Amino acid sequence: MTAGGAPTVPDLPPDPTETGALPLDDGQASATWAGSGDAGPADGSLVMLDAPATGARPSLTRAAVVSNDHLGDRYWRMRLLAPDIARHTQPGQFVMLTVTPSGPSNWVLPRPMAVADRDEMQETIDVVYGAHGWGTRQMAAIGARDELTVVGPLGNGFRLEPTTRHLMVVGRGIGLCSLSLLAVAASQRGAAVSAVLSARHREANVLVPFFEAVPDSRVVTALDSDGSSDPQVLGPELRILLEETPAQQIATCGSRRLLRMCSALAEATGATLQVAVEAHMACGMGYCHGCSAWVQGVDQEGPLVCRDGPVFAWLPAGR
Amino acid sequence: MGAPTLTSEVDLRTALGPLVLATPVMPASGCFGPELATIVPVGSLGAVVTKTIFSARRSGNRPHRLTETAAGVLNSIGIPSPGVATFRSEVLPRYRAIGVPVVVSIGGLRVEEYWQITEELHDEAVDAFEVNVSCPNLERGGLTIGANPDQVGEVVAGVRARTDRPVLVKLTPNVTSVVEAARVAESVGATALTVANTFLGLAVDLRARRPVLGNAMGGLSGPAVKPLALRLVWEASRAVSVPVIGCGGISSATDAVEFLLAGASAVQVGTATFARPDTMAEMVEELPAALGLAGASSVHEVVGQLQVGNDCLADDTLGVPGASDGAGGGRGARCHPTFRKLPTCEAGVP
Repeated sequence: MTAGGAPTVPDLPPDPTETGALPLDDGQASATWAGSGDAGPADGSLVMLDAPATGARPSLTRAAVVSNDHLGDRYWRMRLLAPDIARHTQPGQFVMLTVTPSGPSNWVLPRPMAVADRDEMQETIDVVYGAHGWGTRQMAAIGARDELTVVGPLGNGFRLEPTTRHLMVVGRGIGLCSLSLLAVAASQRGAAVSAVLSARHREANVLVPFFEAVPDSRVVTALDSDGSSDPQVLGPELRILLEETPAQQIATCGSRRLLRMCSALAEATGATLQVAVEAHMACGMGYCHGCSAWVQGVDQEGPLVCRDGPVFAWLPAGR
Repeated sequence: MGAPTLTSEVDLRTALGPLVLATPVMPASGCFGPELATIVPVGSLGAVVTKTIFSARRSGNRPHRLTETAAGVLNSIGIPSPGVATFRSEVLPRYRAIGVPVVVSIGGLRVEEYWQITEELHDEAVDAFEVNVSCPNLERGGLTIGANPDQVGEVVAGVRARTDRPVLVKLTPNVTSVVEAARVAESVGATALTVANTFLGLAVDLRARRPVLGNAMGGLSGPAVKPLALRLVWEASRAVSVPVIGCGGISSATDAVEFLLAGASAVQVGTATFARPDTMAEMVEELPAALGLAGASSVHEVVGQLQVGNDCLADDTLGVPGASDGAGGGRGARCHPTFRKLPTCEAGVP
């Protein structure tokens, strides 16, 4: 809820989405549309992606902390030894993570966090989080060799479409963590990647080095501090970029404003659009039904963000 | 206190009427699914409890459906249900495959709906029913059935008449006296009572000036409610002779033994499973040691063995010591010498 740049108020009650693992928030008082109770903003709608043909089952791991490093601004990166998750995670999938596995946990709910990176050889996964709630501040204090309880990989991730020769990812803040493995996958398949990275200011744009290291990638940064993150500024800039190099697919996470902008871009250029959304979650696997994406009707349960998402296709209203 | 007992000698069995459980640990309805069996051991559970099933298919509430609070979780999921047909063909077999007794939680928005779902599941391999009376009654303006002892009696009597399986009744804590509903449920044939469901609460989003939950109010669970649930278990178990299943903030084996001492014959674990999906399996593993701490080597020998100054209580009170008029000196109160040193008694003792 507070991933995008809301002022830090240390004594606010804990918020299970404070890590902003799958955020969709401009840092304003906007709820995600999962919170709006409706099918979504009027300029488009979420549509469930087909379930993947082969999905690896999640597992529970007591994962040793390999490192827990401050990346800059309020952001930290935790690297966890989790061989099965490192092997099986698909772009856009997430893990449920709990501190202090021994003894009563200070976290009543686990935190959903996108797998920002994985290394099959080292058998590690990375999660990136903003230490601004009480839970994530606890997390920042965790040292190497501590153990966390991690369940994953979870959820229905991004689909890299076979026809995609140029992928544009547009993310903000921690939302970029849901897009990083997608950029890597596209690059490995020989597609060009344009990565649009939005943040409050330069120091907060901590994933720039990651996306710059993706082969055949072009990084566009957009900051609140110089006004370049304003969709009125950024949108036309990206429109020109897409006219020069059409993208078949756009993927976004982390901001409702950027989603609206992407929706217009997709509609104008004929690209498909997928979005990773966030929700208040408890189980992460579907059995608690806590993270309904939207209400389908009185007699039918709608999709769950954790099980049927967090990635959905986005259908612009005009399409 | 006796010496800690070896694990192998500890008897973890417990009985809910005719239903004998290998261990006293089971999930709370709605906080468990067969999905969990793929990532954590579930074979040591005394039973599994399904999410509440309604006869008809229904959706849950609008989001947000849950939020974390201090040491707790507030939820208003709204009990989405696939309906009885899908439940029989797709859901129940997955619970059965786990290999421990299956308790099916049933709900209804009208009294007759509870009876209907009982009949519809009559032929199924169900080891027990748990009647969730914390559902809004559409015939009574949406008031919770469980808040009205007469309606609890009506629902449970009807379910009882339609099945020969054990009938557990999950009581709501959102009443002045849990004892009243407990006694009514027992009188119409409940096999055991689950005490209790979540505690009504509200979370506020100050920036939006709105309730956090889509349904405004929600039920509080987690460590925050443990003392509240312990109190209710203690009260209810003293008022009835059927077994009580403790539920509320239980997240460790020592928590479980505390509930057993307070009068529970078994425990349900809900919120704790979210953060640590293997909580219940660990709890079973650690239960012998926790029983040892209480000087016991079996579940049955600690049930209801909480040592309190019962004699200090007014005869007509089931409250805490000193709750009666005059802090122990009220009408009908008698102080056992052992408890004369207790501050709550002292004031009333000549």
